[in-house]
Parts: sequence; structure tokens; C-alpha cells
Amino acid sequence: MLKLFFTNLKMMVRGRQALFWSLFFPLMFTIIFGFFFGGDNKSLGAIVLINKSDSQISQSLEKALDDSGLFKVQKETDLSLAKDLLKKSKVSAIVEVPEGFGNLQLNELTKINLINDPANTQINLAISGFLEAYLTQVNYQAQGAKPIFSLNVESTSDKNLTYFDFVLLGIIGMALMNGSVQGIAITMARYREDKILKRITTTPLKPWKFVLAEVLSRLILNVLQISLILAIGVWGFHAHIVGSIFLIYLFALLGGLLFLSIGFAVASAAKTTDAAQGMAVAITIPMMFLAGVFFPIDQLPKWLYSIVQYLPLAPLLRMIRQIGIENISPFINPVNIIIVVVWIIITLFVSVMRFRLSDE
Amino acid sequence: MIEKVIEIKNLTKKYGKLIAVNDISFDVQKGEVFGLLGENGAGKTTTMEMIESLRKPSSGSIKVLGDDVSKNSEKVKEKIGVQLQSSAYYDYLKLREILELFGGFYEKNADPDKLFRMVDLEDKTNAYIKNLSGGQKQRFSIIASLINDPEVIFLDEPTTGLDPIARRNTWEIISEIKKQGKTIIMTTHYMEEAEFLCDRVAIMEKGKIIALDKPHKLIERTENPYKITFILQKDNQNFLNKLINACGAKNCLLKKLPGKDAHYEINIKQQEVLNKALLLVEAEKPESLQVGQATLEDLFIELTGKTITDEENGD
Repeated sequence: MLKLFFTNLKMMVRGRQALFWSLFFPLMFTIIFGFFFGGDNKSLGAIVLINKSDSQISQSLEKALDDSGLFKVQKETDLSLAKDLLKKSKVSAIVEVPEGFGNLQLNELTKINLINDPANTQINLAISGFLEAYLTQVNYQAQGAKPIFSLNVESTSDKNLTYFDFVLLGIIGMALMNGSVQGIAITMARYREDKILKRITTTPLKPWKFVLAEVLSRLILNVLQISLILAIGVWGFHAHIVGSIFLIYLFALLGGLLFLSIGFAVASAAKTTDAAQGMAVAITIPMMFLAGVFFPIDQLPKWLYSIVQYLPLAPLLRMIRQIGIENISPFINPVNIIIVVVWIIITLFVSVMRFRLSDE
Repeated sequence: MIEKVIEIKNLTKKYGKLIAVNDISFDVQKGEVFGLLGENGAGKTTTMEMIESLRKPSSGSIKVLGDDVSKNSEKVKEKIGVQLQSSAYYDYLKLREILELFGGFYEKNADPDKLFRMVDLEDKTNAYIKNLSGGQKQRFSIIASLINDPEVIFLDEPTTGLDPIARRNTWEIISEIKKQGKTIIMTTHYMEEAEFLCDRVAIMEKGKIIALDKPHKLIERTENPYKITFILQKDNQNFLNKLINACGAKNCLLKKLPGKDAHYEINIKQQEVLNKALLLVEAEKPESLQVGQATLEDLFIELTGKTITDEENGD
């Protein structure tokens, strides 16, 4: 059986298609998302600052914008040039500080001019919020007032978590699902179609050993998937994993088992390789979106969420994200573990009842 | 004393209302090549697969090398080699790796190099299945069934789809395996092949064995042991009538062969009638004339009432 296990690994490496779906495809996602959202650079986009004032206050605004790290600040003097950049979408907003701004002797209202690109709502909100807050501070100081109400913002975890952290853990779930469901379903259906399964049954090899060798070699592939995605995400794009790496592996592999038994269930239901491929895709692609690989599913309409939260991938992603992002052990509230285990039992039951190596 | 390698008693297999194998009994002796003949759907493969313990009989008993297949299937599988009809092997393994993998499933192993040499594949051990020709694939699939050095080998249509040279090549391999003292059970569609290779054949029809004996003994049993095949220069109904009258309608069977114009075969019961008919045909100066004995195929057609090729085309 050990021999079959190593042979399976060898065949996975040689059968490039399997490797593509289970490794290169998710790694491609990791890298693309990494470039978009990864890194410690929280910059939302570029803005132009035209500062015509030389007052202390205007200097400190300039410094505050630079220090915030929220924007890439490009300094210009010519407004029409800046507007040109905005039109070409090279920058997302223009902040124009008029002459004499911050000169307290003038004692009249001077306005900072904000010109924005309506398409970029995220940066609009950020820059106008930033400026409002800054001006409020300055107004208080100028009038010698002390604020009596303030807002205290606390984040759920110590580190600054990004969307990339969220999606990286989602990609692990996606990789396991695609690799295992498609891998097992298609391989087994093809083995059946090519009569390899039947040929195996002519030998004294016990069927459970055949299945176990298949499962173990796939789990090794899963470990490789998890490791590569984490390595590229963390070292390549500075993703933050706050929880236990061991627990992430543990629960990801539990997911691996779940998807393998879904794969066997599909293989037992599909009569041909093409049918197996179709069924596997029909299961994995909708689940990729509905179980929350890329977006938090609690944003979905309530009735839809109440259904999709029980999809096999959904509780798995919740657990992996609890560990990775919030450092909460899934054992504390085991409802997600229970959902996953129930799914494993259901699909395993279908597989054991229906999956046969031979024709009868 | 004759050693029985396989003993089958009252074997039946039903699929719902369909009776695929209907109460058959036969023995296979050690060292013989035993052929199962029959049309598609006659029950040959089902019978083979029940002996290989791939399918469960509905009733009846099968013993292989003294062991009851339904009780000791693993012990039996250890000692038999099986080549399935059109079985594929792993795409991403080299030939040697496949042999070694399958060898790992058995306690006893044959030497892979010897097997490769036996079928002239010693320079293909590092090739993949997809790079082999049809004949090479078939040869490989035969040695894959020999990896556990089995005592009994099952070959299901080992030459179907092969060209004549590859077929004869396979015959030699089968003879070579027989020489090693192994028992072979095979199915085939080719009567010529069965006549050439098999020590005994069983002809199956609709799940039953309708004849079982040595090929030449079966041929002796035909109603018309002699035949003349001829092509006339042009069709001549008067001559054909004259020929039938001279032979006597009871003693012969004349039929037009498909394909070429004026191509006929006459099957004849007695030697003296054969001589008479031959003189008549010769006098017509036919384009072609062949005199021969009935073959297994003639018997098969007589017994089943149609030709195998008819049946295949109807599939």
C-alpha cells in the first residue's frame, strides 16, 4: 500500500492538470490578490496637494497627510496640471490649500478646496473625513476650545488586518476544495471508465487500502497547498496570521478530508469522466462565491445567508479565519466543527454506500 | 490422472429478469488452453468474471485450484492472472512502474525483465502506455496479468482489434505461456484462433453451453463436413439448380456468399457427393475453386444459426 501511495504522488506530479488546479491556480489567485491588497502599505491611492500657503498650520497639514500613510501625496503648484492628472485618473483627488490659509491674523473664513473623482468613493470618503477631522482640530486650537466628546475606535485584533488577510485564508479553502473535489471525482471516474478500478479488483489488494493510499497522497498534496499559499501570502505580501499555524493546518486538513469524501461521492454518482467533471465544477464554483472565499457572506441577503452559511466550505472558512485573523480556537464554540463533521458523515455515507471499485 | 484446475457446477447469473448465464457446468484441466466462444452477450465475459470473483453468481459453485471462489476470493486472486477486455492502465506510469506496482499487490512475483523479454518489450520498459502501438499494448496487458506468476490465466478477447501479424504474435505468446505449464482460459470471436490455440472449446449461446469438446471433434460433428467454394464467370441459375439436383437437396446446402458476384459455397454431407459436385463445378471453368473441410466457424454458424460478424454488425 505504501508503494501505491508513493506511486500516486508520482502520478500527481506527472499529471500536470491536477497540479495546475490544486497548486498553480490558487497560487495565481494569491499573487494577484497580493499585488492588489497585500503588503503593509495601506495607501488607498494618490492625491495631489497644492499648498499655496506658508503658514505653520498648512505645513502641519502637509506633514499629517504624509504621515498618515493613507495616501500617496504628490505635491504640485499648478492647478490645471493637477486637474489634468485627475482626468486621466492618475490621481484620485486634489487638495488645494489657498494662499493665506492658517494665518490666524486674517480672522476670516479660509477654505481648503477638495476636488475629487466621484468614481472613487473609497478615497473620497477617506480624504474628506481626514480633512474634516484635521480642520476640527485646528478650529479647536485656534479658538482655544477643548473637545468634550470624542470617539474611541478599537479594532478586533492587535495588528492591522487587511482584506488580503481575509482573502488569503479564503484561497486556502478554495484550493483544498478545488484540488480535492475535482481531483478525486475526475481521477476516480476516469479510473472507472478506463477499467483501472476493475483491474485493481482482480488483484488481492483490499479496496480500503486502495482508497486509503489515494486519500493519504491527496492529503500530502493538501499540506503542500496550504504551505505554499501561506508562504507566499505571509512572506511575499506581508499577510498577518495571528493565530496558531498548527490549528490552521489541522482544520484545513479536516476540510481536506471533507472535500475528498465529497469527491468520492461525486465519483460514485457520475457515470462518466465528463459527468464527474461537470458535477465537480457545479459544486465548487458556486460554493467558491457563496461560501465566502472572496467576500464575507454575512453581507448577502438574510434569507440567502441563512442557507449558504451551512455549505461545506462556509464553516471551514469561518474556523480558519477565526484562527488566522482573530486567534480564536474553533473548539470554544464548536458549532462549525459540528457542521463540517456532519458533512463528512453524510458524504462518507453516500460514498461508502455507492462507491465501488468493481461494476457490482 | 487429470487435474481439474477449475470446477464449475450449475452456475447461474441473473440480472433482474435477464438470465446472463443459465445453469452451466464444466471443468478446465491443468495445462490446457480452454476457449469460450459465443456471440456478444452470450455470457462469456460474465462467466469469466464470476470465475475471477469479480461478479457474484446468483447460484451454483465455482472452485479454482480447489478453493471455493465465493469463500476464498483473496486466496484465489493471489494465484490467478487476469487480462480484462480492453482494460487501460495508468497514463502517468512507465511500463516497468506499472508492473512493479501491480507486483506489490501480490505475495509472489515474476521477474519483470523476463516478462518484458518474453513479449519483445524490453526496450519499452521506460515508455508510457500512450506511446505503444495496439499490439504492444495488448502484449503488455498480457504480461501485466503474469506478474504474480499465476497458475491460471484469464484472457478476455486478447486479439480483438489487432492486425493479422500482431494476432499471430499473440498466439505465439499464448503458446509460450502454455509451455510453462500454466492453464489458460480465453474468450475469442475468431474461430480460426480458437481452432488453432484451444485444446478444448465451449460454445455458448444465450447463457447456455451448447457444445463443448476439442475443436476437431466438434468439427466432425457438423452435418456437412466438406465444402466447395467457387466463383463462377457469371451467374448461372440453371447450373446451380443442376448442381443441387445432382447432389440431392438433403445432402448439401448451397449459399451465395456476400460481396463478390457469383461467389458460392456448397456444404456437403458425404465424400461421394463431394466428388460428384466437384466434377460439375470444374466443368463450369470457375474463376476460383477451393475444396476444404468444414471449420469451427461452419459448426458455429450451424449451431447458432448466424455468423459472428452478422451479430457484431448488429451491435
